[in-house]
Amino acid sequence: MRKVIAILLLFIIGYYSLDVLLKIPFGESAGGVGKHYLESTIKETGAVNSVTAIVVSYRGFDTLGEVTVLFLAATGLGAILYDKKAKKRALQNASVIVKTSSKIIYPLIALLGAYVFVHGHLTPGGGFQGGAIIATGVLLMFISYRSFETNHKALSIIESLAGMTFVTIGFAGLIYGTSFLQNILPFGIPGELFSAGIIPLIYIAVGFKVGAELTALLDNLLKTIK
Amino acid sequence: MSPVHFIAIPLFAAFLIPLAGKVSKELVKIIPGLVLLYLSFVSVTLFPIGTHHPVVEIIAGFKPPFGITLYYGAIAAFLTTLITLIGFVIWLYSYKFIIREPIEKYYMLFMMLITGSTGIVLTGDIFNLFVFFEITSIAAYSLTAFLRDRDGAEAAFKYLLIGSFASTFFLLAIAIIYANVHTLNLADIAVKIQDVPVTTRLFVLILFLIGLGIESEMFPLNGWAPDAYSQAPSPVGAVFGGIVVKAAVYSLMRIIFLMFNSHDVLHFLLVMGIITMLIAEMSAMKQQQIKRMLAFSSIGQMGLVIIAFGIGTEPSVRAAMFQMFNHALIKSLLFFSAGYLVFHSGSKKISALDGLGHDKPITSFFFAFGALAIIGLPPFSGFWSKLYILLSIADAGLMVPVVLILISSIIEAVYYLRVVSRLYFYKEEATDVRRTPVSGLIAMGILTVVILLVGFYPNLILNWMTPAAADLLNKASYIKFGLF
Repeated sequence: MRKVIAILLLFIIGYYSLDVLLKIPFGESAGGVGKHYLESTIKETGAVNSVTAIVVSYRGFDTLGEVTVLFLAATGLGAILYDKKAKKRALQNASVIVKTSSKIIYPLIALLGAYVFVHGHLTPGGGFQGGAIIATGVLLMFISYRSFETNHKALSIIESLAGMTFVTIGFAGLIYGTSFLQNILPFGIPGELFSAGIIPLIYIAVGFKVGAELTALLDNLLKTIK
Repeated sequence: MSPVHFIAIPLFAAFLIPLAGKVSKELVKIIPGLVLLYLSFVSVTLFPIGTHHPVVEIIAGFKPPFGITLYYGAIAAFLTTLITLIGFVIWLYSYKFIIREPIEKYYMLFMMLITGSTGIVLTGDIFNLFVFFEITSIAAYSLTAFLRDRDGAEAAFKYLLIGSFASTFFLLAIAIIYANVHTLNLADIAVKIQDVPVTTRLFVLILFLIGLGIESEMFPLNGWAPDAYSQAPSPVGAVFGGIVVKAAVYSLMRIIFLMFNSHDVLHFLLVMGIITMLIAEMSAMKQQQIKRMLAFSSIGQMGLVIIAFGIGTEPSVRAAMFQMFNHALIKSLLFFSAGYLVFHSGSKKISALDGLGHDKPITSFFFAFGALAIIGLPPFSGFWSKLYILLSIADAGLMVPVVLILISSIIEAVYYLRVVSRLYFYKEEATDVRRTPVSGLIAMGILTVVILLVGFYPNLILNWMTPAAADLLNKASYIKFGLF
């Protein structure tokens, strides 16, 4: 009987959710703020990638928040898994083929990651994606070499400095401009590497931060044996 | 000086703390205190401006609705000041209470929690609200499990699951709103949501009620609260009761008054508030552990606040804000003193507290003081807010809630006085040579003085509540200032 009631309730909820969701027009051109963003990205931010312009410029404050969320997750994990004794990874050494090839691929992956976050205002991708790519490179090394170690002190310093850079850029906007996170640098020529004002600076900081954070996080999670 | 300092400075400090930790361990503990002192300075400077005329701060130089704005009106001024004050007291208390490593991470999480909750209070953008909600709740999950014991992990995991559920609902609501009105600015949404079909609005309202109701500890969504409050370190219990819940209730009320301001919704809130209050108070009665009892009492008090908001008149909203203020102070005091009572007795159980009033007179005094204040006895501040809530409900012509609130007050008195009587009228068993640290006593002392001061001069706070209530109720002025 309870199951029947539960299923009935689910149907009612499902029906109303569907009703609401079907009323949203699909595939039509965006109105409101979305339209404004599409039309005036280059004029207002100097970035040719309008997704980046929205993420870092129009809604840069949210991105600062998202960076904080990731930092928070890493900090929280560090607090919960905290242990004074040094731990080791349980992984075995991989075969020679994997070891040799990952040694070759690792710098290339890091380079790709750096490319993605430096070109965030021009091509798809950005700080978060670039940082994640770098961390996958480190993960590959973790899997291949049991003895591969990262410098935790350096990682935490990078994390802190990158985060502080983001907030400092924000305050620079407040001091030299009129509002927090406001662009205070020239836009340059749209489409060039040195363009779009503070967007590349923020994305480089985010890239470093996310890369360092995810690396430290992976290291924390993989080390299970005392 | 601008309101963005409330968000950016603690965040900067959170990033700075790991670097400071490389220099000196003591610096890690001092930085949060300095930050909170600075924030209280900002508060004092901005408070008169914000209550007089809302300050709308643009972020990143884009005018609303294209960019994000911060809305520093009377209510935000009041709540940021409250968060700063409670945060400062919690820092003082934590100074000697948190002695387990990793201390550095504790203060980082604490600073980010302050960032998140001031952000919730200040933001004028609904997606930004979601981001700050995430910051606050993730910091809260981690702090719950900070002691790294079995119970703490269980409580934190429970909280994490329910909290993620809440975020999903919240995000879905935002997505549906955006799809219908193509804007994220709260003031802009308040204008445009009137054209949205009723079924959609109802659906969004339900999503908001579930998403924000979980953090607001509304029945039946508050299952996480007793565990999280009681398993987290005691100062974190005060963080939940004094900061997180207040920010959550504020955002729920802001959204309801801006977007769904109708009598039916308010009546629904009223009924939910009553159920929350009654069930929580009755559950508190049954508890064997002191911190679980405080947790249920906290839920009950939030029920009372929701009732007062549900009445929806100017005096009742004013009284609700006043009650939020009092509850933040008194519940922090109770958690602080209970933390050391548990520490000295070596057990979380109420029955282990026998005779501690003779052994640890000062800490016990603070607990008894807090207990009497929260029941609502004169001359403590809790008396006035409860009185004003009752008067405002009676003015609205509803007698049933008045009776129920009085009944729940009696239940409250029974279970609080039961603990107090154990402290003073039972035989002393063993003496604990450890002392309550001075920083903890100062923290409790500050709260006691404020509670007593407000108890004697309630107008000190009530005068500020009038513009705050107007700020929440007057949708037209929010839209006018929020969109320029």
